[in-house]
Amino acid sequence: MPGMADSRTRAPGSVVVTGIGVTSAFGRGTEPLLAAALSGRPAFGQARRFSVERRRAKAAAELAGAPVLAGELAVVIDAACDMAGLRDAERGSATLLLALHTDAAAAREAGASSVTGNAAVAVAERTGLPQAPRVYATACVAASTAIADAAVMIESGRADRVVVAAGYLVDEDSFALFDGGRVLARDGQVRPFSSGRQGLLLGDGVAAVVLESAAVARRRSVDPLVWLAGWGRAGDAYHVCQPCPDGSGLGRAIGAALRRARVDPADIGYVNANGSGTSYADSSEAAALRRSLGPHAGEVPVSSTKSVHGHALEASALLEFVLTVLVVRAGCLPVNAGFLAPDEECRLNLVLGSPRETRCDYALSLNAAFGGASTALLVAAA
Amino acid sequence: MNATPALRGVRPRDAGTLTVLARAQWPAEPRTVLPGVPGFIISSFSPLAAELAEQCLRQHFGDPPADAGRGARTAVVLASTTGDMATAAAIASAVDQGRAVPPLLFYQSNPNAVVGHIAARWGLAGPVVCTIPAARGLADAMDSAALLIEGAEADAALVLLADQGGLHGDRGVAMLVGPDGWVPSAGSRGISDE
Repeated sequence: MPGMADSRTRAPGSVVVTGIGVTSAFGRGTEPLLAAALSGRPAFGQARRFSVERRRAKAAAELAGAPVLAGELAVVIDAACDMAGLRDAERGSATLLLALHTDAAAAREAGASSVTGNAAVAVAERTGLPQAPRVYATACVAASTAIADAAVMIESGRADRVVVAAGYLVDEDSFALFDGGRVLARDGQVRPFSSGRQGLLLGDGVAAVVLESAAVARRRSVDPLVWLAGWGRAGDAYHVCQPCPDGSGLGRAIGAALRRARVDPADIGYVNANGSGTSYADSSEAAALRRSLGPHAGEVPVSSTKSVHGHALEASALLEFVLTVLVVRAGCLPVNAGFLAPDEECRLNLVLGSPRETRCDYALSLNAAFGGASTALLVAAA
Repeated sequence: MNATPALRGVRPRDAGTLTVLARAQWPAEPRTVLPGVPGFIISSFSPLAAELAEQCLRQHFGDPPADAGRGARTAVVLASTTGDMATAAAIASAVDQGRAVPPLLFYQSNPNAVVGHIAARWGLAGPVVCTIPAARGLADAMDSAALLIEGAEADAALVLLADQGGLHGDRGVAMLVGPDGWVPSAGSRGISDE
């Protein structure tokens, strides 16, 4: 990897990840998610929680059973805190940041106080963590926005430890909404960056990470899973719901993450792309990679894990961040599933067919949303 | 790898020195009806946010758009302690009645959409953050802006608090916060510039 030896002499910053927890359509825990992502085995099937008879699209990626969001959030938060080795007092003094989708029950309740209902209160009660000061609602970059805020809080000394959690479970309202917007893939597969891609599919995603000051983790004698070496956020001042075709917003977010970490484009060993599988967004993202990574954009391995776990809306960025952490630690890159044929506007070095074993010192996790909101999170191997 | 001092490669900003450069609120006499926003239907949430932004930004920038140098470094924070209750209820109603959900509701179903409208109209290309504060609505929104500015991701932020419904109807506040004496400059390069 060009420039790798030089980059390893640089310290990646002062924020570390010490715990992760995740639930996806593949089940609870990191193992089933990583195994499915590496093999490129999608979880999509006909949606089961509600009738899709009247919908144009039919498929989603759903966890079996009847999961309840607050309970699933508590499970992943507990898993992340346990992995981080946090004692009760350390959990109680952590800051909790949440990213959540609109709650279907609150939408039907005349006296509901907010669109996310009482989920934040319920999570605090179940986990023993303080109630989140706010719920991040920045659509598909909600959770990555929370991670970036957590990193600033830690680097500025506001907080030693922040738990970021996010959750979305496929529900009829959002399925009907996205179906009405005609953005769901009618062929039942998500095909990021591929010719013939038809759109996105929704998928369950509930995840939590523990972010800490590196110094605090070291004092606890806890080894980091990875470093959060950099992050970047930007808009593009372009449109209500479509990204600028030139990729300027996401490109600036990527550039900001690299500059913050003082990492060269050539040091990036993997990109977990936003790759929603929609026509205009994927081509805009490819443009963003070209303008921010230069010639390395055609060399760095890229895949979108949405091709297997689907789009978890406000939780998607955290689900993908967790997978990126797992990938960096595993040294094996996940497959960009659903690929049919190249699209000239999306010329990238996609991971196709089988997982790619490689040492990956730095990986980017990218997300983009309505309103031009774009985020880039840069993970460095510990 | 060893830890290094905070914000390597970035000069941290002191958000404590931020100045309120412009301010607006809703309701605001003599207007009593929110102007509509093309493409946004049923709910007053997005028109409320758009009107707050319009009144606030005009005070500072004049007619849209903002000058390119400052626009590129201005973030938008849209906080709401309620969120867009009317859009959520309209989606739920359509689902419960077995009707198709109007495509326009898809586009306005998250708060980023109206921020995209504001950002495109005014040329604001800084980060976009939308939140539902548990309490301290405006103070929490200002905290969000401070994190963006301290992290050198923006020089200034349009902070909107837009709350829907209730006994007192729609209410909101907008503030443009940034450095004192903020003037057009091509030299305000920061972490988010290419």
